[in-house]
Amino acid sequence: MEDPAQPPAIDETQPSRPTRATPSPGESRAVAFGIAAWFLPGLGHALQKMWGRALVVFFAVGLLVYAGASMKGNVFTRQGTDAFDKLGYIADLGTGSFYLFARAIETKGADVSQAGGDYGTRLLATAGVLNLLAALHAYEAARGHKA
Amino acid sequence: MNAVPSLELTHFQAFLLFAVVISVAFGFLGRRRPKDRVKYILWSLFLFLLVGIGVGWAMFPFSR
Repeated sequence: MEDPAQPPAIDETQPSRPTRATPSPGESRAVAFGIAAWFLPGLGHALQKMWGRALVVFFAVGLLVYAGASMKGNVFTRQGTDAFDKLGYIADLGTGSFYLFARAIETKGADVSQAGGDYGTRLLATAGVLNLLAALHAYEAARGHKA
Repeated sequence: MNAVPSLELTHFQAFLLFAVVISVAFGFLGRRRPKDRVKYILWSLFLFLLVGIGVGWAMFPFSR
């Protein structure tokens, strides 16, 4: 007969129940920095007091977005019909809040019938991918990896 | 915001803008010490220009 006052004995022959992995505070902070870096280019580095990198990322992404949109590059929307449009939309979204800036300054629409518009499309996509790379860098730096 | 003038760049100017901006960004993200950053930026820019102009010339025989 088991004594109710005693805690139940642990059966060590049974495998222990897997515990759900909870993110550490440092990991949550790193994710927050990564999201901040995506939303506003350079913010992830600025929050970690990496001022040089923050300024360079901010102005590099901003310049590429400004140049791309003012060269009448294609700022893709989610109404894209084919895979290239969808991939372009994902790349453009990589610029975070600057996507709205690009939409705001390109009021006359894209014109990819001339080379400038085609270059503009590439510059916008480059800005998005560059910002995603910078956000990943900010995330890794916040995790303590050498950066 | 409709007062933004349209930017008209030649092929080479657009290519140069891309190469300079990306080289500087890569240099700052990839290296920590200022001297290393400058070396990385210059080397990266040189390679961008070399490959871009090289590919351009490689396509020249098929352009007409």
